[in-house]
Amino acid sequence: MAKRVLLYAVLTIGAFVSVFPYLLVVLTAFKTQAQLSSTAPWLPGLPPTAGNLATMLAGDFPRYVLNTAVMTALLTAGQLVFTTFAAYAFARLRFRGRDVLFWLYVATMMVPSAVTMIPLFLIMRELGLVNTWYGLLAPYILGTPYGIFLMRQFFKSLPAGLEEAARIDGAGQLTILLRVLLPLCRPALGTLAIITVISSWNSFLWPLIITSGDDTRVITVAIATLKSGIGVDYHLMMAGSLIALVPMVAVFVFFQRHIVRSVVLTGLK
Amino acid sequence: MTRGRRGGLHAYLFIGPSLFGVVAFLLLPMVIVFVLSLFDWELLSAPEFAGLDNYRRLAADGGTWHSLLVTVGYVLLSIPLQTVLALALAVLLDRRVKGLRFYRSLFVVPWMATPIVLGLVWQWIFDPRDGAINRALALVGVTGPDWLSDPSWALPAVALVSVWQYTGYNMLFFLAGLQGIPRELHDAAAVDGAGPRQRFWRVTLPLLNPTMFFVTVTNLIGAFQVFDTVYAMTDGGPSHSTEVLNFRIFQTAFKEFDFGYAATLSTLLFAVIFAVTLAQVRFFGKRTTYDLS
Repeated sequence: MAKRVLLYAVLTIGAFVSVFPYLLVVLTAFKTQAQLSSTAPWLPGLPPTAGNLATMLAGDFPRYVLNTAVMTALLTAGQLVFTTFAAYAFARLRFRGRDVLFWLYVATMMVPSAVTMIPLFLIMRELGLVNTWYGLLAPYILGTPYGIFLMRQFFKSLPAGLEEAARIDGAGQLTILLRVLLPLCRPALGTLAIITVISSWNSFLWPLIITSGDDTRVITVAIATLKSGIGVDYHLMMAGSLIALVPMVAVFVFFQRHIVRSVVLTGLK
Repeated sequence: MTRGRRGGLHAYLFIGPSLFGVVAFLLLPMVIVFVLSLFDWELLSAPEFAGLDNYRRLAADGGTWHSLLVTVGYVLLSIPLQTVLALALAVLLDRRVKGLRFYRSLFVVPWMATPIVLGLVWQWIFDPRDGAINRALALVGVTGPDWLSDPSWALPAVALVSVWQYTGYNMLFFLAGLQGIPRELHDAAAVDGAGPRQRFWRVTLPLLNPTMFFVTVTNLIGAFQVFDTVYAMTDGGPSHSTEVLNFRIFQTAFKEFDFGYAATLSTLLFAVIFAVTLAQVRFFGKRTTYDLS
């Protein structure tokens, strides 16, 4: 019994530590400057104020949120389409050089993004794509080796007879993929979409390097800029943080089973 | 015959876009980074071939070696702790726990946090005067350190954010691994007289090797490239105590516009990550000999 109590105590402390920073963001986002210094960080400011959120939403911030949403949507769409095509070919088609190519893909999963950042910037500079949407999106919109790996694992787990039956009925490759296999892939596609949404929304270093104007500024870069702009006005910064975090928290709450599934799908092989 | 050839053509059409991406945005940059490391280039003038000059400069560059040391320190402060904690939480959850899903979800919440945003939140939590930690410590009469402005506390504080962010996510992998271990193996060991502790060390842990491999390899590759939290929390300071290698590469390229040398630093980072990953493949390759499929 005592062991049981200890177990739940440990789990509860862990859960509290996990959500505490989020809690601070919410509490602080609704405090006035005066309440910020008069109340303890972990207590709400009474009465709560919506003034910080209003201030943030009145400026350029909504535009950055929109930019981020557009970037996230395009990268996720690209990832889903191109990854599905490539993973399908790797998993279900026979062609010359397939295994060599696949190992090439797996090898590139080991390439640290920090190492390719500078050459990528220089490539975009040569192409005149610095500070453009093309430059921001190009390196990531054609799908990632990790996504292809994940989807290939899933395609391989589908029974082999599926295509045969469709082929006898005279269906082409594209029809087989779109009509027969894809409907079965919805769980895996969901998982891939979630992972891509989260990593796109959170991406910082590449947008920081490749963009500089308002047209392409995303929310992570905007918040990093806030830091130098408003210094220690934490109530405003937390209001901005809240706006940045809410979409991800919503995604998480609605789709968390997909995140758990991604762990199982990766297969640990 | 014809069908096979057409199948091949189809396959290349399917793979085409992603292959272009892999070649243009992953392989080509790798080639460029090595070539560029042999050049002197500050963007405004034409690149100038410099042979191994950049590498000679690197050998004598105390600041970079300090950065490498800081990076290794960050890895050592974060990875062991977040791995052990994750495993411990997974073991705790791998029994009949009421509300398993509830706890599991809350533990994973930090993982999807935007690192740059939560970095700023943690910067405030560590604030010496108004931060939650030092205000909580003050309640029990303890004066907390200056955390992020104290050179000896700044790096542990940044590493702690990594522990906060990734422990729960790693726990998911360990939990999946634990649930994949057949019950009978534990029962058999118990029948043979193995206590709980022995069963953990002799049965559970060896069988978790593939999970342990995956978690440590991905975590280490990520940790060696840490950037966002450092950028948000300390800007590499105080007195360079949190200036990790990736941050130095960024500074060298985009603040000093010394692109040739920044590429040289990138090859150093690549070599370090490559060597560490290879060492892990060897280490776990020797130990993962169980096949239960």
